[in-house]
Parts: sequence; structure tokens; C-alpha cells
Amino acid sequence: MASKSGSAFDWKVWMVIAIVASSVVGFSAGYVLGGVQKKVTLSIVDDYGRTVELHGIPQRIVSVAPSPTEILFAVGAGSQVVGVDNYSDYPAEARSLPQIGSYTLNMEVIMSLKPDLIVSSDLVPRAQLDQLEAQGVPYFIFATRTMEDVIKDLRLAGSLTGHSLEAESLVAGLQARINAVTNKTLAAGVEKVRTYIEYYPLWTYGPGSFGNDMIRLAGGANIASNASNEYPELTPEFIIAQNPQIIVYTVGPMTTTTASDFADRSGWSITFAVSHDKIYSIDDNLVSRYGPRVVDGLEQLAEIIHPELFT
Amino acid sequence: MVVLIGTEKPKEEGHSPTDVRSKRLLIICALGALLVLTAFVAILVGTLGPIGPGIPEKISFSEAVNAIFTDSEYHWVFWNVRIPRVLLAGLVGAALACSGTAMQAIFRNSMADPFVIGVSSGAAVGAAIAGLLGLAAIIGVFAPPMFAFVGAVIAAFSVYMLGSVRGKIYVDSLLLSGVAVAAFLGAMVSFLIYFARQQYHQLIFWLLGSLTLASWDVVQILVFPIVAGAVVIFLYGRDLDALLLGEETAHNLGANPEFLKKLMLFVSALMAAAAVAFTGIIGFVGLIIPHISRLIVGSSHRTLVPAATLSGAIFLILADTLARTAVAPTELPVGIITALCGGPFFLYLLRRNSTGRDR
Repeated sequence: MASKSGSAFDWKVWMVIAIVASSVVGFSAGYVLGGVQKKVTLSIVDDYGRTVELHGIPQRIVSVAPSPTEILFAVGAGSQVVGVDNYSDYPAEARSLPQIGSYTLNMEVIMSLKPDLIVSSDLVPRAQLDQLEAQGVPYFIFATRTMEDVIKDLRLAGSLTGHSLEAESLVAGLQARINAVTNKTLAAGVEKVRTYIEYYPLWTYGPGSFGNDMIRLAGGANIASNASNEYPELTPEFIIAQNPQIIVYTVGPMTTTTASDFADRSGWSITFAVSHDKIYSIDDNLVSRYGPRVVDGLEQLAEIIHPELFT
Repeated sequence: MVVLIGTEKPKEEGHSPTDVRSKRLLIICALGALLVLTAFVAILVGTLGPIGPGIPEKISFSEAVNAIFTDSEYHWVFWNVRIPRVLLAGLVGAALACSGTAMQAIFRNSMADPFVIGVSSGAAVGAAIAGLLGLAAIIGVFAPPMFAFVGAVIAAFSVYMLGSVRGKIYVDSLLLSGVAVAAFLGAMVSFLIYFARQQYHQLIFWLLGSLTLASWDVVQILVFPIVAGAVVIFLYGRDLDALLLGEETAHNLGANPEFLKKLMLFVSALMAAAAVAFTGIIGFVGLIIPHISRLIVGSSHRTLVPAATLSGAIFLILADTLARTAVAPTELPVGIITALCGGPFFLYLLRRNSTGRDR
């Protein structure tokens, strides 16, 4: 092995080794960095089992997802919210608040608002929330999978924002409406109607999703209840083989589906739902915004699935 | 008469080493000054202002200066959000460009960069897995970057193992194995996205690249590997020039091709992984910055490496400034901006090549 000159080669190698070693040390030094101290006067456990500790009732809340926004406003904490994400459009007051981005959060705007609490759904990348926590702002996650979760979240939001009484009365009213539905739809002897619900062509709500729970409470049998994941894409073959009695499609700002589309889909006309024209639509927000509006959604869905119980 | 290895420009012939050295110093100082200027301007741009849309309110230049130097209302925002962000953009841009330069030298192929050979994808998969398993809650906030780094090193190692025969690296196979590994890892990330819909936004975040996680902690962690890596690559600049002449020639000139290839691969992977670990995949920086630098300063690596490194920093600071203000308050993933620059650049290269090579 020829080298330019013995000493130059050796010097370089040792320098390289020294540089690499120091960079490894520098890299690992990062993990020794400590956290932020907080004074605790209010301690609540969120839906991920994380204990969130606050200085007091939060007065400057930033909501980074539309569902938590609706929950906060519903329990009367709207005046404590100082910033919302781009998709928070309900209630109307939320639309006039400063926007902080969505999914990818604008750290600068959030920090300029000087928040004392961030509330989030579980769809927002955690790394950004952790980053905000490292800057001294705690975050609280609402992870909603069932109707029961919504009730629980409304109560949590009440405790979190100092509106427990309001939350309790809201919850009482909502629970009464839910019971009014389920007393009829889940009663003994009521047929479970095979339902296919679609939020995008061929995409549906699978096991573990909120939509799945809603169908169950409305007295339906979700044809995708044994699918492989929470939001599966089904094959047309499978849907037709399941022979849904009812088809429901959700309508949102991007939806182009219409009721007549289903008859046009090849092979679908032999299903009970298409042949008997049992095709219905429902506002997407009533199924995917996990706040009080889902109770409206439940009532509507129950009337669609079991019209005979609700005339 | 001294033989200068690697310089291509005919004008250079007959210049003494001191002239070349002082010209190199001039270029590096000029780029360094440009970098500092760009950074200062970038610090004044943002959603808060003074240059920018002004959300939640627009502040003036004097308020901004106040915020930076005194403990005024937005002091925290500037020091904990904007300044680390500009620094991170500079570091990551420098890392990717430097890494790309080294890879283009050892592959003797100007299409090589950390993304093409799978290092970035390896980092993305590592981070995705850490995210999906919720490891941040168990190990700590730096779990995803740690895993990203491990993923990148595994990818680089696989590329190396696939592309070498009995310890000897064949650059053609190395490039192909890099493409294969990148494709495979890309498929894995797509698979994860498909089956973990809840984590969709988290994964997209990694795939498109974003500097939104910038903080002083991150800057502190990255500054060592990146600066160290750049220095190492610079030290071997002459050897890289020799390598470009072909391995036999390089060997005869006193460089050690095998050791050099392994070292450069390792160091480039380290730098690229460090970058991707916190920002996701930012493509094209490692590809187009070395090219542009070569057009301006020539192929001598002792000049090219620092020039590309500094240019990469400037480029990414500019791209990120655009990413965080173009559609404020929404942030564009910076990877989109760099890709938008990459496309036309390659069209330009294509045209240039097809109308004749020698310029």
C-alpha cells in the first residue's frame, strides 16, 4: 500500500478518528439535556394516559385539531381559546381566531400566542407536540374511538377549563338523547341492518373506528366490522358479497359522490341497497367531528337505518 | 513545475499554488459572508413579520430588533423558534450538500446523493417505526431521531454490502444497490402509511421533509456530526480528486481508494442521517448544490467541498424561508420547495448536455 508520505497519512487518520469520536460524544450529549420544570396546581390525565400538569385554569388554549375545538366551545371554554387550526370551522366563533396551520403546525404563530395549553386529537404528529412541551407548553390529547369517549372527553374538557358544571349538564342532555336512540335500536328483537358506510369511494370505517361504533349504536351491522384495520379500503367484490341493506355516504367539502353513482358501479345493482334504492347521505362533520354534533349524527343515522322505530 | 490534481479549468494552468489558494480563500470568504447575510435576513422573515404576513399580528423592524436583543414581548419567539430554525436550515443544507459532494466523488457519478442511495429512506423508516411504536413516550423525545440515525446507517451498510464483492467496492453495483435499497425502503414507508392510517400525518411529515422541529437542542446535537463530517471530507479533498481520475490512477498517485470509499460512505451517511433524523427527507439539495458549485468553482475538491457546503446552507435557508411564509400560517414541507427547484435544474442540465458538453 503506497501512501503519499508516511507521516501525512497517519496524521490524517488520527485527526479523522478524533473528529468522529468527538462528534459521537456531541451527538450523545443531547440525550443528557434536561426537561422543563413546572409548578403544578391542576393535574389531569388525558386519553393517552399522560398526566398533564397545569399552573391553573388555562386561559390561553391553542387547539390544533377541529374536534377538540368543538369540544372546548361546547363546554363554554370558547373565550379561553386563543388559536385554532385551519380546519376548525365550528362553531362560527372559532373561524375568527388566529390560525396555526394543520397537522404541520406553525411553531412561530403558536408561540406568539403565548399559550398555556395545547389541545390536540391523536392525528397530529406527536413530535411537534413534544417540541412545544419542551418549550414549556403542555399538551392534552383527546383520542376518541366511541360515543362513550365523546361523553368522557366533554367531561374532561370541563375539568380542564373550569367548566365542569356546564359540561355535566351538556353531557346529561346528550346522554339522554343517546339513550332515547339506543333504547329503541339496541332493544331485544330489533334486526341489525347490514350497513355499508362510505366516506370516500370504497373507503369505510373499520373495527376500532368511531364510525363503526356509531353504526352499532344506530342499530346497524357494519359490513366492515371484521376488516383488517380502522379505515380500510374494501374491494367491490366483498361489498357486493356482503349484500348491504343500506348504503350511507358522507358528504364533505371534497365529496363528489351522488346517490345515483352506486347504481352505476359495475355489479352493485344486485345488492339489496341499490336495487331497493336505500342510499342515503349524511353530513361528514356529524360523523367525524368528535363533539356534541355526533349525537345529531347518531340520531340521523338511526332514522336512516331504522325508520320504522322513529316515525 | 507543480502538478495540480483535479483542477479542470484551462485558465488555471500555469498559476502558482498560492494563487489558487488565495482564490479558494476568496470564494470561501465570499460564500461565508453571503451565508451570514442570508441568515440575518431569514431571521427577519416569518409569519410574525417584520417581513411576512403578520399572524397573529405584524411587528415592525424595530420591534423585531428589540425582540432579539431585549427581553421584550416576542423575545421568546425569536430566540426559541426562529433563530434555531434558521440555524437548523443552514446545518441541514450544509450536511446534505457536503454529503452529496462526497458521494458524487466516490461513485464517480453526478446522480449520487444521500437520497438516491437510500440513506434518507433508511432514516425515514427508522423514524416511522419509532413513531408508530410510540417510543417517544417510553424512551424519550429523541427516540425517533435516534431510530432514524440507526435506520440510515443500516441502509448505508446494506448498500455497501450489496455493492461490494469480497470487501472491494464496485461503484456501479454500489449505485444500483443504493437505488434498490431506496426503492425497497420507500415501499416499506408506503406500506406503513397504508396500514397505520392513524399515523398517516406523522409519516407524511417524514416523507416530505420539514424543519418545524427546530430547537436549540436539535442544533446542539447536529452541529458536531455535521461540522466534523464536513471537515473530514475537506481533509480528503485531494484524495477525492485523485479518485475521480479512476481507481488505478488514484492508487498510483498515492491515495487509498478502498479506504477512501469506505470512509467517505460512512461519513456522508453519518451527516445525511443526522440531518434526516430531525427533518425527514429533504431531497435534491445533495444533488443540485454540488453541480452548481462545480459550475462556479470547478472540480477541485479542496475548493468544491467548502463551496458546496456553504452554498447548501444558503440554499436551504432560502428554501425554508419560503416554505414557512408562502402560504402562512400553513407551512409547506420544505422538501416540496427543493423538489420544485430540482426539476427545472435537471431540465437545464439535460439541455446543456445535449447541446454540447464542453464549456
